[in-house]
Amino acid sequence: MTENILQFAAFESFVCPTFWHKLAELKIEHDRLSDAPKPISGHYTNHKAAGCLLEVDYSAYNSSAQPPKFSHNAVGTIYNKNTIEEFKELDKTSLLSAEGQALLADMTSARVLDNPSLLARFFVLSFADLKCHSYYYWFGFPCPLTHPLQLQSEAVRVKDLQNFAAVAEALRAVPSEAQNFFILYANEELESVEVRSLSAALTNIDNTEAEHYYYCFADPSEYEHPAWLMRNYVAFLLMQCPTLLGKTLKFLGLRYDQQMNVDNSLIWKVVQNDACDLTRIENVKFVGWEPNRNCKMGPRMVSMRDSMDPAKLAENSVNLNLKLMKWRLLPELNLEAIAQTKCLLFGAGTLGCAVARNLLSWGFKHITLLDSGKVGYSNPVRQNLYTHADAVMGNKMKSTTAAERLLEINPSAVAKGYVVQIPMPGHTIGEAMLEQTTNDLTLIEEQVHAHDVLFLLTDSRESRWLPTVLGAVHQKIVINAALGFDSYLVMRHGSTRECVGDQGNEIEGLKCIMGQKLGCYFCNDVTAPGNSLKDRTLDQQCTVTRPGVSNIAASYAVELLVALLQHPQRELAPAYYAQSSHKRQQVESTAAIPEGLLGILPHSIRGLLYNYENILPATEKFSQCIACSQPILASFRSEGHAFLLKAFETARYLEELTGIADFKSLHCEIIDFDDDEFDMSEGDENDSGPTTTNIDE
Amino acid sequence: MVDGTLSWTDFLSEAREFLHLSEQLGDGWTLCEKDGNEPNTFLSCKRKVRSKDNGTLSTLISVEYHVVFSVSYQVPMLFFQAHRSDGSLLDVDATWRAFMPEARERSDLFQMLTQMDHPVLFRPFMALHPCRTSDVLAQFGKKSENRILTFISVYGPHVQLNLQNAYGNAIKCK
Ligand SMILES: [Zn+2]
Repeated sequence: MTENILQFAAFESFVCPTFWHKLAELKIEHDRLSDAPKPISGHYTNHKAAGCLLEVDYSAYNSSAQPPKFSHNAVGTIYNKNTIEEFKELDKTSLLSAEGQALLADMTSARVLDNPSLLARFFVLSFADLKCHSYYYWFGFPCPLTHPLQLQSEAVRVKDLQNFAAVAEALRAVPSEAQNFFILYANEELESVEVRSLSAALTNIDNTEAEHYYYCFADPSEYEHPAWLMRNYVAFLLMQCPTLLGKTLKFLGLRYDQQMNVDNSLIWKVVQNDACDLTRIENVKFVGWEPNRNCKMGPRMVSMRDSMDPAKLAENSVNLNLKLMKWRLLPELNLEAIAQTKCLLFGAGTLGCAVARNLLSWGFKHITLLDSGKVGYSNPVRQNLYTHADAVMGNKMKSTTAAERLLEINPSAVAKGYVVQIPMPGHTIGEAMLEQTTNDLTLIEEQVHAHDVLFLLTDSRESRWLPTVLGAVHQKIVINAALGFDSYLVMRHGSTRECVGDQGNEIEGLKCIMGQKLGCYFCNDVTAPGNSLKDRTLDQQCTVTRPGVSNIAASYAVELLVALLQHPQRELAPAYYAQSSHKRQQVESTAAIPEGLLGILPHSIRGLLYNYENILPATEKFSQCIACSQPILASFRSEGHAFLLKAFETARYLEELTGIADFKSLHCEIIDFDDDEFDMSEGDENDSGPTTTNIDE
Repeated sequence: MVDGTLSWTDFLSEAREFLHLSEQLGDGWTLCEKDGNEPNTFLSCKRKVRSKDNGTLSTLISVEYHVVFSVSYQVPMLFFQAHRSDGSLLDVDATWRAFMPEARERSDLFQMLTQMDHPVLFRPFMALHPCRTSDVLAQFGKKSENRILTFISVYGPHVQLNLQNAYGNAIKCK
């Protein structure tokens, strides 16, 4: 029984992104709070049809828009609600009935005869969440519920008709704007084939002529079943010409193939035996809500953030370069680990700015900068997040300005800046400053807690002490960069995390130091004074550097972090150091260093621009280090701020604590340099006294 | 050895010739002209294709193809962008899954698919990188044929843009 019932291919809504773009634009600029229903138009094609689609795009809202080539107009209404609640709570049955009744009203009037596209009917219930770029929507294709149509025989292809040639010729001659619904009169006996409009053929229908009628329509279905819109066509015909009831009716679904032939158009012979009085509108039921993707009766939601939110667009583009790197060269690259790692930068000077920009390039999103300085006139040319205007204004703080710039560069970054001074050993805190210092300490500690990586990018050795201690106590990854006139040191501090798993491999000619045994900036300096690179250059007070040095060091610092994050052991990864002093053997053993995803992972990189050379020393933790040794960490853990204040009072305290007799006062041994030395705008304003220096390079 | 590059005027005249063929065949290509400057005229067409992304039922996506002149490489270049039935765009990953799930990661195809700013529209589009196009055109394109047609025939099938054979016949009859 069911085999003889004609089934229809349901319409599938197909929305072009521009439909949402235009809806958003109209809502914001024109409709605002009005949620009155608005006429829209859609279109469908019977030219190489795929699926059974009803499409809408930006032209839907333009009442005079023509459908695209090879497409036909569909008549619709959009009910765009102001809130998600109104969208949800609207009575769906009533809306469908109201739409269906409007359709029936068009059928009973002469309107459909004049404009048959009224039969291709749809409506959209929607809510546009413009803030989130989310669109909730539900399409309906209203149709009166009538008795099923009896299918008299299998569908027949037009090219199997005996008079195919004449039929095809007539079909092809129909002007495209009239192809949606028309009637083909094909009398084989009279060898007469002609095309008639609905109004010409159906007004005062001649029943003897009607036997030769093909009720033609542009059929957007690619399936064996005719498109949904034929249901309305049938309902309309029986309403318009009740005498057709019980008669065999031939429907021709016009379908063009790739070569623009009509050969595969289909003909269905159907009979409607049961009358259905559609004039008593209040009794008629309607169908037509589109099921959602899960084949349930319900609305759909689409997020258009990717194409409509400028911040998201930028984010996707940033990620794209990294994704391409992953695809092309490094399939194992873990971009997620990078995106989730939160970086805290001590210092927003030349190094801080350059490091921050390199972090953005790699797809790091969380960047926080700590600095107490203002942007000075000499800064912008070297510190690449500032401009001359920042210095002219005279009150722009580096840390907050840098964070603003990072957000301007990448709006999807999470960048913050705090104006804070980093207390230093040997820099006594006076009564007056005690409260401020305590506040600063609290803020710094909070920030250390909230981040995964600390970058030490300040302009003095002393200012690196506190972050070194905090990094060790809180088991953070610490990356340190320091500059000389034409030299630089970039290093990762040894980890204080518990070691698990792999102990590293012993390789001939190489010294292997596990990540938790590597030294920090301070142990290194004391334990490795005799280095061939004359690392004292870093310790002497340099006031100027070659400009490239900071960019090189900043790049190494970020690359070192990325390599570390990609290593399965992360900061516990061992470092290898070629022991031989013979150059040739050094080269040989260096070649044997185990490589991670991005190559080797050194402890430190010391380089000289003078001869364009780097060496990669690895050194062990010093048990009496004034920053990372057990006595220091234990004291901090038990005494907290009190311990720190004692250290700030006199560096001597640290020496006593760790037992280094010959520990030199940090105060008189500033290693780094400060290119603000020449910055007259700042020098005069520096009222913070001898207890602080600007956090800069 | 035939040189596989085209001048801007070559591109324009061959694009117009291609457009003419398409109109004869009812194939739906259009020529978009922003202004008379290089490279602000390009060929465009839309197709519905079935995503090759298996796992779910194959779904219909709408793809807009553009053949744009690459000023740096002096060859035609294929840009495209696909969206789903709800209007959402396919990102690079989704494009990859939809069009080339069978290609291996290090394959030439894999190397070719990229995203870049459309040189006329200044929006991000998927693109097939043009670095090898001139070699390919030199290999396939005989002087007498339309190089845009050759280009689309060679590169299009990678992204489900298949031209009817009738194009080949039409160009030979010309
Ligand atoms: Zn140490």
